[in-house]
Amino acid sequence: MDMDKLQRDIPDLRSKALAELSSLEDRRTLDAWRVEYLGKKSEIAQWMKMLGNLSPDDRRMAGQQIHALRQTLESAFTERMREMDELEIERKLREETLDITLPGTPQAIGHLHPITRILMEIEDIFVKMGFAVVEGPEVETDAYNFEMLNVPKDHPARDMQDTFYLSEELLLRTHTSPMQVRVMEQMRPNIPVKVIVPGRVYRRDEDDATHSHAFHQVEGLVVDQNIRMSDLKGTLEEFAKALFGPEQAVRLRPSFFPFTEPSAEVDVRCIHCKGQGCRVCKQTGWIEILGAGMVHPNVLAAAGYSPDAYSGFAFGMGPERIAMLKYGISDIRLLYQNDLRFLRQFSQLR
Amino acid sequence: MRVSYQWLSEYVDLNDVTPERLAELLTSGGLTVDAVTTRNQGVEGVVVGAVLACEQHSNADRLKVCQVDAGTGEILQIVCGAANVRAGVRVPVALVGAKLPGGVEIKRAKLRGVESSGMLCSAKELGLEVRLLPTEQTSGLFLLPEDTPIGQSIVDVLHLDDAVLDLDLTPNRGDCLSMRGLAYEVAALLGRRSHFEEKAEGHHLDVSDTPQVRVRIESAGCHAYAGQVLQLTGNHQPSPLWMQMRLLAAGIRPIDAIVDVTNFVMLEWGQPLHAFDFATVEAGQIIVRDAEQGELIETLDGQKRVLAEGMTLIADPKKALGIAGVMGGANSEISVGSRSVLLESALFERSHVRRTGQKLGLRSEAQQRFERGVDPAVQIPALKRAVALLQQIVGATPQGGVCQVTSDSMPSMLAHEVCFSPARCNQVLGTSFQASEMRNVFSRLGFTVIGQGETENWRIMVPSRRADIQLEADLVEEVARLCGYDAIPATLPMLANAPGRVGESYKLQKMTRSLFTNCGMDEVVTYAFGHPESISCLRLPENHSLRQSIPLLLPMSEERSHLRRHLLPSLAQVALYNLNHGVKGGAIFEISRVFHPYQLPLVQQPEERHSLGALWFGHTDIELGRPTRAYTFFDAKGVLEYWLMVLGLQENLQFTRSHLPWLHPGRSADILVNGVTIGSLGELHPESALQLELPRAIWAEIDLTTVASLPVHAWQVHPVSRQPWSYRDLAVLVDHEVPAESLLIQVRKNALAVMPHLQLTAKIFDVYSGKGIPVGKKSVGISISLGLEDATLDDDSIQRIMDAILHGLRLEYGAELRGQDS
Ligand SMILES: [Zn+2]
Repeated sequence: MDMDKLQRDIPDLRSKALAELSSLEDRRTLDAWRVEYLGKKSEIAQWMKMLGNLSPDDRRMAGQQIHALRQTLESAFTERMREMDELEIERKLREETLDITLPGTPQAIGHLHPITRILMEIEDIFVKMGFAVVEGPEVETDAYNFEMLNVPKDHPARDMQDTFYLSEELLLRTHTSPMQVRVMEQMRPNIPVKVIVPGRVYRRDEDDATHSHAFHQVEGLVVDQNIRMSDLKGTLEEFAKALFGPEQAVRLRPSFFPFTEPSAEVDVRCIHCKGQGCRVCKQTGWIEILGAGMVHPNVLAAAGYSPDAYSGFAFGMGPERIAMLKYGISDIRLLYQNDLRFLRQFSQLR
Repeated sequence: MRVSYQWLSEYVDLNDVTPERLAELLTSGGLTVDAVTTRNQGVEGVVVGAVLACEQHSNADRLKVCQVDAGTGEILQIVCGAANVRAGVRVPVALVGAKLPGGVEIKRAKLRGVESSGMLCSAKELGLEVRLLPTEQTSGLFLLPEDTPIGQSIVDVLHLDDAVLDLDLTPNRGDCLSMRGLAYEVAALLGRRSHFEEKAEGHHLDVSDTPQVRVRIESAGCHAYAGQVLQLTGNHQPSPLWMQMRLLAAGIRPIDAIVDVTNFVMLEWGQPLHAFDFATVEAGQIIVRDAEQGELIETLDGQKRVLAEGMTLIADPKKALGIAGVMGGANSEISVGSRSVLLESALFERSHVRRTGQKLGLRSEAQQRFERGVDPAVQIPALKRAVALLQQIVGATPQGGVCQVTSDSMPSMLAHEVCFSPARCNQVLGTSFQASEMRNVFSRLGFTVIGQGETENWRIMVPSRRADIQLEADLVEEVARLCGYDAIPATLPMLANAPGRVGESYKLQKMTRSLFTNCGMDEVVTYAFGHPESISCLRLPENHSLRQSIPLLLPMSEERSHLRRHLLPSLAQVALYNLNHGVKGGAIFEISRVFHPYQLPLVQQPEERHSLGALWFGHTDIELGRPTRAYTFFDAKGVLEYWLMVLGLQENLQFTRSHLPWLHPGRSADILVNGVTIGSLGELHPESALQLELPRAIWAEIDLTTVASLPVHAWQVHPVSRQPWSYRDLAVLVDHEVPAESLLIQVRKNALAVMPHLQLTAKIFDVYSGKGIPVGKKSVGISISLGLEDATLDDDSIQRIMDAILHGLRLEYGAELRGQDS
């Protein structure tokens, strides 16, 4: 082994190997390069074997030089490998690019009927206020639907609710109010009575944009000692704020229901014009959403609560009407048409 | 009730209260005003004119050329096409420049060569309600009385400068069905005095004179009956224009002087009156009696009516003359030849009148007033008023005195007493009104207060016109009403705080709604009424109980005449509607009641059950990479399984082959939980589908009332294995008929027999028959995962388990191993 030749060969090999390395593009040739320059049969390996032929001084010097060369090539190789990996990943990513405008995997999306949505909203509000939710029969007796609610037979107040009769004494309830008496009878003598009653009711009306022979109601009833009409107003105000927004206000107007005294129609500020006056509210700024009042002494007595000791308030509202207001539906019949193109619009939860 | 603003302002000072403001005031007082309309629909520059001469137009058959004096100082030539124009009549003349309703402006014109300076008007052209006028006043010109002053504005003559308030009265306020009653109310709302000066003069009614008519009350339907006989001078004539206009404003048809007076007084006093031709009253004797069952009478409208018990009749000793408070009889009607008239002013029992009117399908103005209660104090004053008006208008003369009979049931004409505590009033309302404020309310209403101070009970004397005030609560409402509901503060009830609750059955419905929508199903809400034959799509035997549904007594249509017992017809209708409207398909459900009678005809409330119906129809929605496809049995089953799992009903759940006639026998199942049938699902039987006009569809129904009664499986979390689970797949060949689920049960059984604490799941991942599989066989792929809670399962143990499984499957089902994978 010739030290002088080695002094020329080492730099030559370095530049040759590095030049070759930088031109390599795939793992297979890269592996071949490693075998050729760093493998057991490589020139470097040959040189290492032959180091013993040199003088001690030369041997040390040559050893260091060969070692340095090896390290250079090894790190160049590692570096090149890393570059290659990166390129590989880049290529792969490029190949895997998607058209992100295509639709996502469809999820099963069902829709609650708008009446159900409103009913659930109403119920949630009242349940949070401590009301219990109960249900009653849709086929009622004349006694519960009318007489115990202070509407005797042959009373003109019966004209307020045209009735589907099934027999002399049985009918389809015209309102959820019969449950006022049924609930009080069940609860008697306990207080407080604090319930809402959602359910279907029936009236013998021709169907048109604002009338339906079948619709829903939510009845409310609170009975205790010392229940005041101001409690009715406050409770309904809380409800209106929860349903329509914190800036809501309610207005009570005198009215007549045989089973409440005093009676009131309850308006909320028009949600379309915020009370400024518009077509929906007939320029009044208010929209009627329910009827209410203090439970009539005769009704308390009929249900077994002495009107001298107890008082209460009751209210009844129509979810269809509220749904129509809230969703801008102009014809109640749409709610019973069940056109899926209509119902499938009710997907947003807030 | 339609209310003339002008008329009302005669009783209450409304100078500073516009009709619109009055409407607001009434509405906020609880008397809802639906509309305010001005009687003048745009008439301007129309005056009274006299037609002096009337000649045929030389150039047009149907036109006449009139010379008209309209008080303008010159004779106007006006061409007119009306058939009833003739010399001598007084008519409304629209002068040149006049305006008529609908934006018509009158201009000088030439009609077929003849100059015309104005227009003679019909009732319709003046914007009058022609439907309320007799034909002689609506066909052609509106002829005015001969003494109408020439040149006077028609707006004044016809009282068009008035507004009409349309009141939607609640049934308790019968007192406001009269101008006087309403005047009391308006005065109270305004805090002003009402004043009623009698406009008619010269009535010389002498109660002490012997009456010409004798009256006997035999029926409980009559509390009081007053009658007066009047002599007529003969000619049948219309009432004065001002009275006709008052009636028109109130929406009542003017007919003739006598009828108009009775109607006018009814509007004024709220007391219905009736006029009989006294000559037809046998022996001058009126008997108020109960009708006999089946008795016949021909009423004024020419209808023959069959009467029933409980109805009250006005009769003479021989025949019925009228139905009390509802309608008079044809036989005693005033006619042109009538020479004497009996005026009736009576108080009939509210409930009798109402029942009678309802049974006969009649609904008159009189009836409405009796139903809602007539003031027991006004029969005589109203009668006197009518007599005076008839004297004045038709020159009638009273014959004898008033006959006045009352029954024992006659309500008091005096004020009634109602107790009132100012403190309780504030307690009920949650207000802090001063006693003086309350006192003021009662004084405005014309109620007398007896009592002092705030703490003691007051006695309030309520006049007989306010029969609706019976209890303290009624007085409390009056206080709140007149002080304004706005004065009531908003508070919350002072109750013991208790959390709200939702009943279990209701909760189940709510959860089910959410869970079904979670599965992509759309909720529908359909009507509960159906056609009795719609149930036939269920293919039930003739005598099946489900065919017996509850009929409505008076349905609005045959389509909606029965209470449904089953949801399929309704949901199928929804599906059909949607398919017909281009919706390709859907998965819909409804939770609603179905009504099962215990017996028919109905004698007690029926059983109401909560039913869930679900229908998968048409095709799935378009989805990238998946072809749309028809819904299958398994789409439905998947939803139900998910729902049952979430409800905790998956233990002891069975799907067994169903034999329901409306389902495909090979593609349907009954659903059982703990051996209790809760519902069914399956493809519709082709015959049912055909009847419903639906292509193939999947139907499921659940009886939620039963589900609500099932015990819920209590559940706990099991510890899971610390080690990863091992998996083994196997495929076996079995007979085609072997239910896949039974293989899973067998797998479980045999595996647990080897190792009781084994944690194991087994699922079907493939079912295949066809190429490579012998005929009558199928290959079932089962994926098994297994592990132990606290130890590793070694390969030997797994092999032992798998051997046991295979052995069991072979033994029980003749299964042959096709392949095994780990
Ligand atoms: Zn508005």
